[in-house]
Amino acid sequence: MTGTASTAAPTRNPADVDPAGVRWLIFVRDRGIFVLWVLLLLGFSVWANPYFASLDNAILIANAASLTAIFAAGVAVGIICGALDLSIPGTAAFGSCLCGVLLTHGWPTWTGIVAALLVGVVVGLVNGLIALRGFNPIVVTIGTLSVLSGLAAVIAGGYTIPGLDALTFMGTQRYAGVPGPVWIVAALFVLGTVFLTRTRDGIRMMAVGGNREAVRRSGIHSDRYTVLGFVISGFCAALGGLVTTALVTEANPEASPGIIFTALTAVALAGVSLSGGRGSLPRVLVGALILATISNGLTIKGIQPYWGTTVTGLLLLGAIGLEKWISATVSRRLVTTAQASAHTGTR
Amino acid sequence: MHYGFVRALDGIDVHVQPGEVLGLLGDNGAGKSTLLKVMSGAHRPTNGTILVHGEDVVFSSPSDSTHAGIQMVYQDLALVDAQDIATNLSVGREILRKGPLGWLGFVDHKAQRKRAQAELDRLGVRTAAVTRPVEMLSGGQRQVVALARSATRVSGDRGGVLLLDEPTAALGYEQTQQVQALIRRLAGNGVACVLVTHNLPLAMDVCDRLVVLNRGRKVADVPTAQTDDDQLVGWITGARPSMFAA
Repeated sequence: MTGTASTAAPTRNPADVDPAGVRWLIFVRDRGIFVLWVLLLLGFSVWANPYFASLDNAILIANAASLTAIFAAGVAVGIICGALDLSIPGTAAFGSCLCGVLLTHGWPTWTGIVAALLVGVVVGLVNGLIALRGFNPIVVTIGTLSVLSGLAAVIAGGYTIPGLDALTFMGTQRYAGVPGPVWIVAALFVLGTVFLTRTRDGIRMMAVGGNREAVRRSGIHSDRYTVLGFVISGFCAALGGLVTTALVTEANPEASPGIIFTALTAVALAGVSLSGGRGSLPRVLVGALILATISNGLTIKGIQPYWGTTVTGLLLLGAIGLEKWISATVSRRLVTTAQASAHTGTR
Repeated sequence: MHYGFVRALDGIDVHVQPGEVLGLLGDNGAGKSTLLKVMSGAHRPTNGTILVHGEDVVFSSPSDSTHAGIQMVYQDLALVDAQDIATNLSVGREILRKGPLGWLGFVDHKAQRKRAQAELDRLGVRTAAVTRPVEMLSGGQRQVVALARSATRVSGDRGGVLLLDEPTAALGYEQTQQVQALIRRLAGNGVACVLVTHNLPLAMDVCDRLVVLNRGRKVADVPTAQTDDDQLVGWITGARPSMFAA
């Protein structure tokens, strides 16, 4: 190491490496949800033996989790980037109804899909551009939610559009034994994760969610990343709408706010902070899988599904408690080591 | 410079040389921070001019001043808490991977960490592992990271200017010493530094020259070696008449 300045560069210090205990706590905080999921799987495997631990059931769980996962990806990207996008159900409903209308009027399947996804992108752009004017994103997206669910009912004539069999290839159709939605989720999450953690724009987007000022002062236009977050969120919403439609082969104009809350539960389980700037898509995926695992396991045991909701709620409360405790412990540990190094360090 | 009807700065003329550390002193409301914000492009002066290397410039936003080689360290540090030190230092000047992945915008994390560590070493500051998230740093360490972020973006050879607003306000003794040394080292590399502070001992230690503001007017402009605490306090409080005839 050659210091260009006249003063010699300080020697690398053991304090530059985090203590093992702290690293372990950080591991639990960042990866704890994976451990939790594995524990759940093991628990159900024993309890619901022999029906739970089978390949068929695993595929069932993955399939059940896929819708939640797609919407949760949209919600998570919005939150990470600094905005809770509540218009997701509206986008999903309008996108799928538009696709349904096009298909019933004899348009090719791909035009319907492209149109629906474009709806998602456009809704995201509109949400983002309005939110940039300084309006609260929650209120803005409540507005677009209302507009979109109204429009969906208008173009669908107020009724569900049945008979959309052309979409089964992304619904119930299986490829290599795995249903289409699972493949879609896999692709979405791989792309999303790579984008958020490996690319310049993704990292900047997360940074904008964490501290807009920091990014702006670095001479970057933070606004475009806010809009990008809404666009990705809208895209996921439209994709989720399409997959829903494909699964039930009909397009429902009713925007169900329930999907937002299920998605939010998965996102919160994944430890995505609602204040933005942090979170990871793999954890969100596991969050969605945990919800599906619990309801699947309880169903196998013949327990009323209400218990699934209750257990999920308890897990969520436990998860935030654990996170809080870990964060507090880590900062306490680090403060002691920082003080130690300040007195044993530079001189 | 006016804020509505308040005349925050009035007929002030300040200049700073490459390699010089200029201290801006004054009581609360004297106009120190306003002057700094004018220099950084955050505020536009009502009238008056800014010259960078003799060239007349107009800043309509902080990014304009960034292009002119001026960097500001704010009191609120504006770091991205969830990201690590290396990422915080790299925002806006990421290293992309070589080859097709780079064209897709893929970031070379390894190279960024290496560069961040090298830059921190060159600045002679020790914080923590560059992979540590900023939220896990102490207040002093954060201050050092924020300072380093700006310091790595100015360079003496290109005539950079570094503006610092109360850089040691939240720091303990040890960290203050580190920041002082860092400022001196930057000045040694030819960076012009402007330092706003309430901390007289710090100003006496670090600055080559001191400018005192009182109610928006410049009342003193002296080399540090030719003044002392008593004189400065007099100018700051207004007990001592201005060096410049009214």
